[in-house]
Amino acid sequence: MRLQRLRDWAPTRPDLRVFGGYLLAAAVYIAIGVSVTDFLLSFWVGVAYVVVAAWAVPTLIRRVL
Amino acid sequence: MSWAAHDLEPYAFQKHMGLRVAFVPLLIGSYAPDMMTKWFVYGIHIGPWDLKAHDPAQFHRGWPGFGFTHSLIYGVALGLIIWKVSGSRLWGVSFIIGQAAHAITDTGDTVGTMLLFPWTFHFHLGAWAYAGQTGRTTDAAAYFSGLGSMWDLVWLVYGLICWRVLTSSYFDNVIYRADGFWPWLNRWVPRGALMTLYRAAFFYGSSRWIAWTIWAHVIHHYPYDLSWGGPHWVHAAHP
Repeated sequence: MRLQRLRDWAPTRPDLRVFGGYLLAAAVYIAIGVSVTDFLLSFWVGVAYVVVAAWAVPTLIRRVL
Repeated sequence: MSWAAHDLEPYAFQKHMGLRVAFVPLLIGSYAPDMMTKWFVYGIHIGPWDLKAHDPAQFHRGWPGFGFTHSLIYGVALGLIIWKVSGSRLWGVSFIIGQAAHAITDTGDTVGTMLLFPWTFHFHLGAWAYAGQTGRTTDAAAYFSGLGSMWDLVWLVYGLICWRVLTSSYFDNVIYRADGFWPWLNRWVPRGALMTLYRAAFFYGSSRWIAWTIWAHVIHHYPYDLSWGGPHWVHAAHP
């Protein structure tokens, strides 16, 4: 019963793939932010970054491939 | 003063309220109290001019000052205006919930908030130091060394436990259905981009939390002080 609940809660492989993409984008964002902290200050810079890194670039790559 | 909680809290509320809230006004409400004031608390440079509040804590949280932006009545007043102007009760109520969450969260620091303004009493738990008056960099170092950052971490971990609230199926079945704003935006913006926009505040809050923690403790070695009211190496403002 508990195992079934855990299975229901656990992410599927496609979920993990999406999460991995965001993790990669976050790693780059964090690296830039630690080097240049001004990068971390603006919400709009964060939004623009994530739209480019987590949506525009993957969409472009899928179209090219 | 909170650095990531205001980005992350709306996802927790969203998880528990589902179709009864709209995410966009919930998030705007969560940011609303600081929207007009934060820049003047830390100060900005415009050409030869330095613009900064003489007493940042008083300006940010006090009266006279803009402390009323952190009161419940401010959220209700703006929520009613939003309801009247947009014609959407959902937007008005969601804004009020987001704004109240911000005002209540900020009672955690040493200055606290005038929750029941016009009563000017500052409700404050004093769990972490308010150091906005020291400037953005020292404030960041202090915040990410005290209990404030641990409170942010609670929301970050809770968000990850409730990870389904960030999935595409949740977006389609709840976020998109609850609020006409998303179908309207979908006329110009593809669904994939909308979903990324929906996740953006969580991405921003959690990534920023990690980045500032690395900056404060790996790059600069500021000492952690998780005692009540800490860190005590910074001068904390009080009401």
